[in-house]
Amino acid sequence: MTTTTITRTSTEKTLLQRLDGLQQIPTIPAVLAPLLRYLQQPVEQIDVRKVTDLLSQDESLAAQCLRMANSPLFGRGKDVQSLRAAVVSLGFHHVSDIAMSCGMLKILPGENCTLDPVVFWEHSLGCALICRHLATQIDFGDPGKAYLAGLLHDLGIIVNLWILPKEFEEAWDVAKAEGIPLHEAEQRCLGFTHCESGRLLAEHWHLAPEMIDVVNCHHSPEKSKDSSGLAALVQLSDLLCRMSELNYGYVERRQVNLLEEAGFAQLAQYSKNLGHFDWARLTFELESYMEEVHSLVRAIYRT
Amino acid sequence: MRCVASRLHQLGELQNRVLIFLEGLCVTTVPLIRAGFAELLPKPELVHIRDVIYQAAGIFHPDNKLRLLLDGCGRRMSELRIASLQEYCDCLTVKSNRQEELVALLNEITIGETSFFRNQQQLDAFKSIVLPRIIQAKSPLPIRQLRIWSAGCSTGEEPYTLRMLLLEEAGPQLGGWNTEILATDLNQRSLAHAHEGIYGSHSTRNLAAIYRSKYFTPLGDKLQVNAQARSNVNFGRLNLSDDSRMTFMKNMDAIFCCNVLIYFDLASKRRVIQHFFNTLLPHGYLFLGRSESLYGVNDEFRLVHLPGATAYVRGDRPLTGGKLR
Repeated sequence: MTTTTITRTSTEKTLLQRLDGLQQIPTIPAVLAPLLRYLQQPVEQIDVRKVTDLLSQDESLAAQCLRMANSPLFGRGKDVQSLRAAVVSLGFHHVSDIAMSCGMLKILPGENCTLDPVVFWEHSLGCALICRHLATQIDFGDPGKAYLAGLLHDLGIIVNLWILPKEFEEAWDVAKAEGIPLHEAEQRCLGFTHCESGRLLAEHWHLAPEMIDVVNCHHSPEKSKDSSGLAALVQLSDLLCRMSELNYGYVERRQVNLLEEAGFAQLAQYSKNLGHFDWARLTFELESYMEEVHSLVRAIYRT
Repeated sequence: MRCVASRLHQLGELQNRVLIFLEGLCVTTVPLIRAGFAELLPKPELVHIRDVIYQAAGIFHPDNKLRLLLDGCGRRMSELRIASLQEYCDCLTVKSNRQEELVALLNEITIGETSFFRNQQQLDAFKSIVLPRIIQAKSPLPIRQLRIWSAGCSTGEEPYTLRMLLLEEAGPQLGGWNTEILATDLNQRSLAHAHEGIYGSHSTRNLAAIYRSKYFTPLGDKLQVNAQARSNVNFGRLNLSDDSRMTFMKNMDAIFCCNVLIYFDLASKRRVIQHFFNTLLPHGYLFLGRSESLYGVNDEFRLVHLPGATAYVRGDRPLTGGKLR
């Protein structure tokens, strides 16, 4: 066994112990399970009253839905006063989306969090949109899967915020002060990165192996054991977001040539179009997403 | 963590639901977000015009800037007495005088937009990332000279901005360096204005107080660039399409050519860019206007991403690896 392996194993062990001992990482609100199950039925069998009853069991969820229904993003300018009107106005599928969004977004620690949850989810959502768009543009497999990979890639940051808040804050401060990538600062201050802690959470959650691979290898797609190239797609999309205003809330003082990134060569194996891809246009299109992403995440958090 | 797992387990299908939901986001939520903006969604004709402009002029209007494009089209449509966007789209794509109309539209959407510190993110990236790299690349050389070319400098705001930036922000980095800013334009009147160096409130609206007080002299309700900001800024008339004169431009460390190439057809643009390529030193940088691209114009330059900005570098320079900052 090499020294690296020993260190790695011991880091994992420590992390696992911390994760196991941790009681406070919130899960998705319990009310969502029956609600989502109910909403899975054919639309004609769904009763608005039953949906509003289920939603009413969670006051904050109900309030979120009302707020969203009145937001210009969803409400189309209608003045929605009741939960029933909100459900009717939004439609059943949209209710489930909003409900799950609220649940997922609340997984981050709330008060005194080193990383502004809004900024974190803006980055994740932005990355998801770019992943999906890029996947479509270069004919890379399933855009839905690409979206999911983009949304979940930084799960490990959530873990680090919960289990090592002080140490993570130190890493965060270093990254911000020096303008370096967060994972490099984590490696220096914590001895591991959000890729490793994210993999542990992803494994605990029994996510698909492909998703675990993305979470684990999105900063080093060359190490990906998976052969789908998804980690490479996420690496490039993540970089584009970090070099734009959809970053983690600080500027990385660096120059990036996507064609020199490991992910580019890897992704090129899966997409014939990549060599002629218009990266400049994708960068400009990212600007279009920014306002929508800001609006959506802020609407969910702070309407 | 075990409690998380067990709760997930107790909730039965919830893990799958999470995935279904997340996967569903891309097919439901995002269109939903867009549906919320239904009345704001761009018309297909406008999106088509955006593509025509991007293909012909290399300038892209993101969704949040489409209003500017629509306004420009509106002004052209009034001029031509055309009522529908579809009909105007035909003017740009089908009719025999489409090239002239394209130029007319480009004039509408680009007029009069020049000011000091116009693209702050680009300037920040130049100052904090590009300049140190240029200095590092040239440090082994005996002559410490920095040459920047503002190609298509219009009324002079850009070259003066660069000069002030170098004086104010890069002073310590450039101690002992000889810096020169070459500013060229085709238009004599613009150059005369640049020489005069007198600017109104529109041009100077982004000027920070320190620049305003240190590098300008009040002149009535206007501001005049002072001698310090004029130093080492050399203006000259140059047609970028003039191949013979372009070959005399040499040894540039950086070229700023913002919102100029849009007026050239593809063949001329290719020639101009090739000249830029030949003019730049191996470590040199080419900056274009915000949302301008060289896609389909030149394969020898490489796009690089800087914080909040993009630039082009010579593709024949040695590869540096992904880790380089």
